[in-house]
Amino acid sequence: MNSVVLPVLGAVVYIVGMRVYASYIDRKVIGADPKRATPARMYADGVDFMPTSRSILFGYQFKSIAGAAPVLGPIIAIKWGWLPGLVWILLGTFFIGWVQDYTSAMVSVRNDGKTFGGISFSFISPRARTILMTFIYLYLLLIAAAFTNIVANALANAPRIPLAIAMLGVAGVIVGYLIYHGRMHLAVVTVIGLALFYVALVLNGQFDLKFGSAHTNWLVWVVFALVFSLFGSLLPIWSFVQPINYLSFYIVLIGMAIAVLGLVVKHPAMQRPMLTGFTVGNMPLWPMLFVTIACGAISGWHGIVSSTGTSRQLRSETDARPVAAGAMFMEMILALIALAIVGITAAGTTGSPDQLFASGLGSIFGFLHLPEKWGLAYGPVLIAILAITILHLVVRFMRIAANELMGRVLPVMRVPAIGTVVALILTFVLVITGTFNYIWVLFGSANQLMASLALMIGSIWLVSEKKKAGFALVPMVFMYITTMAAIILTCKQLLQQAFTGLSLAGQKLPAGQVAGNWIAGTIGVVLFVAALVLAYDGVGALLRFRRAETTEKGVA
Amino acid sequence: MGDDKKDKKKGFGLGKNLKEFVYGMAAHDTARFALKTRGSMEHLFILITMGDMLGIPILPPYYSLRLLPYVVPQISTWKRRMLREKDFTDTLA
Repeated sequence: MNSVVLPVLGAVVYIVGMRVYASYIDRKVIGADPKRATPARMYADGVDFMPTSRSILFGYQFKSIAGAAPVLGPIIAIKWGWLPGLVWILLGTFFIGWVQDYTSAMVSVRNDGKTFGGISFSFISPRARTILMTFIYLYLLLIAAAFTNIVANALANAPRIPLAIAMLGVAGVIVGYLIYHGRMHLAVVTVIGLALFYVALVLNGQFDLKFGSAHTNWLVWVVFALVFSLFGSLLPIWSFVQPINYLSFYIVLIGMAIAVLGLVVKHPAMQRPMLTGFTVGNMPLWPMLFVTIACGAISGWHGIVSSTGTSRQLRSETDARPVAAGAMFMEMILALIALAIVGITAAGTTGSPDQLFASGLGSIFGFLHLPEKWGLAYGPVLIAILAITILHLVVRFMRIAANELMGRVLPVMRVPAIGTVVALILTFVLVITGTFNYIWVLFGSANQLMASLALMIGSIWLVSEKKKAGFALVPMVFMYITTMAAIILTCKQLLQQAFTGLSLAGQKLPAGQVAGNWIAGTIGVVLFVAALVLAYDGVGALLRFRRAETTEKGVA
Repeated sequence: MGDDKKDKKKGFGLGKNLKEFVYGMAAHDTARFALKTRGSMEHLFILITMGDMLGIPILPPYYSLRLLPYVVPQISTWKRRMLREKDFTDTLA
């Protein structure tokens, strides 16, 4: 099949989803009212609550939700063939993804801009909030471990790019200084920052930057990613994280624009098999595909963004659909482009996600008569940047979360450096002992569980408001069952290997990997138990509101 | 709705939307964080000077009264921001 068909199918689903399904839910079920004051208007404090233009918010929402995961998920899932990924991305977004993003925003809008913590406290139970916050901390830990792995693999596998990634950090500091202290024009500063980055990329293109053996080299880049995150967590946000993410936006935009242009100009055929089987290795298609591709189809992260940042900036309730749902459909197209890029690589090509992406991008550069080696270098650059820009933010959030969750019991956790170091040590241990595939699946599972919990909160709110809840309730049940099944399967494999000290193929495992299986398996069990308790409380809340509705009807 | 009409008058539909979209992706979060930082500093300042409004007397009332006229416009949003329920997900987006 022609690879361009994928984004074209995405465009069709975008139009039908937005114009028909989302529009119907927005008007008839939720009843978005342009005259009703949103929290942004009611509490406009110029800080958290700020009425913002729909187009700006659309860009903000898209940038906040579209990180490395919508690109990496489809690449990892190509092992089942491109068709399962394609079907899940299209149907997942149409029936589940946008519902979660949009409902999360609307629940918050109709509840004074409260976050999930506050909403779960008032709608579900007081303990639901505590469990949810602990759950989110573990979720952040898994993101950190998965993305550290991605960065280290990309830098270790492509020894001609690490200098550029390190330079991105330096350029970020310079850009931050020039903007806030030098008061230079943003355009000039942007050119300086990008020039520094590309000069470093060209320079590094002349030699390999490697340290010792393959494992030592990989370990060096793991430490590099964590030190980068240490700066991201401890330095003022304007001096490191923000300028780096700002510059990265242009670097990624250039890469993705070339990829899209190449696909459109050459429209190559998909080389990968359509379906390789229903079980690949020890991973059955159901439920594993549905947690491997999270962002791009549905992701819990989106619910958090919608209910905290976006809901407090919506100028009108009618903006929630184009912003929250629209950004989700847009992300679906990004995931389809990633699927197309990896789909055009030769059928036998193997390697880590960054290598597969690099291979696809290399071919695309070739289609545009650009040197293929540029594409081979730019692929890992994109993957490393997409991952590291999320990673340093996540470690920062983990530091803040540690302060809030443990600050009262352990006052030392209020010290930013301690919270950061704890987060980094936990991430380091998980990365060096864990297996990437399992960490990715656990990250995806935590993400999807978060999504089903967001849908649960949305469903409970809909029932409490006496609105039709089926459009959120059915996806919630599907996502919950699927994700719990994925966690059970993953934990079973991890703990079986931890108990026996043998791999699934029966080979003896090194002590470090056994420890890694214990740690990852335990995290999986904690996620499972937390999700069970939340579901128990959630069902209780749902029945409570349902009973109240029935009683009201009886009285009437 | 009124804002939409005003927006249409101000700029050319697609071009303006595209410009705002790129700004939203590239720099809106930076602007938001800058506002949040300024807001936090201002709210801290008001807490020190006008804390007795929330039952936390810090500064002698004489100085608070001298500063009161400058702080009045922000008092309502400050109170709401200080007393609003918060958790760490507030910092995520």
